[in-house]
Amino acid sequence: MRRTFIPLLLPAVLLGSAAAHAHAYLDRANPRVGSAVRAAPRVVSLWFTQNLEPAFSSATIQDSAGNRVDQGRARVDGGNRAVMHVSVRPLPPGTYRVHWRVLSVDTHTTEGSFSFRVGE
Amino acid sequence: MSRLMPRTAVLAGLISSVPLTGATAHCFVGGCFLPATLTVDDPCVADELSLPTIARFNTGDDPSARQTDISFEYSKRITDTFAISVGRTWTHLSQPGMPDVSGWQNWETTFKHQFLTDAQHELVISAGLAVEWGSTGSPDVGAERFSTLTPTLWIGKGFGDLPDSAGWLRAFAATAQVGYAIPTSSSTITIDPDPGDLGIEFHPQVLVYGGSLQYSMPYLKSSVVDLGLPDFINHLIPLVEASFRTPVANNAGNSFVTTGTINPGVIWVGNYVQVGIEAIIPINRASGTGVGAVAQLHIYLDDLFPTTIGKPLFGSSAPAMKPLGN
Repeated sequence: MRRTFIPLLLPAVLLGSAAAHAHAYLDRANPRVGSAVRAAPRVVSLWFTQNLEPAFSSATIQDSAGNRVDQGRARVDGGNRAVMHVSVRPLPPGTYRVHWRVLSVDTHTTEGSFSFRVGE
Repeated sequence: MSRLMPRTAVLAGLISSVPLTGATAHCFVGGCFLPATLTVDDPCVADELSLPTIARFNTGDDPSARQTDISFEYSKRITDTFAISVGRTWTHLSQPGMPDVSGWQNWETTFKHQFLTDAQHELVISAGLAVEWGSTGSPDVGAERFSTLTPTLWIGKGFGDLPDSAGWLRAFAATAQVGYAIPTSSSTITIDPDPGDLGIEFHPQVLVYGGSLQYSMPYLKSSVVDLGLPDFINHLIPLVEASFRTPVANNAGNSFVTTGTINPGVIWVGNYVQVGIEAIIPINRASGTGVGAVAQLHIYLDDLFPTTIGKPLFGSSAPAMKPLGN
């Protein structure tokens, strides 16, 4: 019985792929992950590999002392639900860490963090 | 009159060349993603399918035989932290001076409980039991008539929790697995038809261990530094796997030599599937000759079918439904 199961399952897997959704993983960010920027950004933007559930997706930004420097709730872009924006206070030169935790539309949660630096 | 048979050592060498098990889980822990590895099992539970895994190598027999394995493994979460996987391997053996033989190896089942997931430290630990069901495969290709129980511990660790000053080292991750294989039969009495002697073939208890060292280009890009590399490169995880077997008990009269392989390779990780390829390098003559290869297509059922066959049978893979809040 088990031998017949796999051959039957494989076409279903391949056919099903077109309509499926996967874990949301950070694809890129602005400022770029690990980068140094001269001018402090007013908004940090995160691009993910999948659309997000806005109510269950979040990001915070901290300075090197662990103090929050974002201006509250991150917002998922209305025109592209794979993008999240976080407004930040005026940032003096220093290193900042972005922590994100998101729920993709298929209910998978992922999280991560990265740093960027303001000032050369 | 009894005598010790060398066949156990030959079979041990033969079996040692086979990967410990097909790999399974789609494994996120914190910001770290541990791919399903080809030679040793990864430390997570998931709904996944490895189909096929194809390996070709020379066995440790004397003379060495050319072995080709085609296998599959299906893993199903029963709860969020408990999974059962079922797999089997079809083997073809080409032995010098002898007719080729083919057949199925024994069915294998693994019960795994992922009991610790520490996102902050990118640490995951599972424990479980792997069972090879005796007499379910063909003796022509080495399938045993007895079952083997292997209590096993799996560990995975990402190094993303190192300080930022560690830089690119934070994209490293490692996994390890250690098990103790206990045959359900300690020995088999055999009859040599020529002289008519009785023989005893001992079935050793074996320490089975291995691991992987990985470098995650996806992690490097998303968590350490985005170098603007081509997209294909950003989906690669170069790695080295190693698997070893050391007989430790009930091996009377036979060698206690450790056998195993070192497998360098690379895995390409997509949203729904991953593809991996590795070389198989035996560590000594008893482990094989020459360099073999293994390749695998691995399918993430939890991403393809998140609301049907890709979710646990009981409970939900969804997070607690409350806003994360800032």
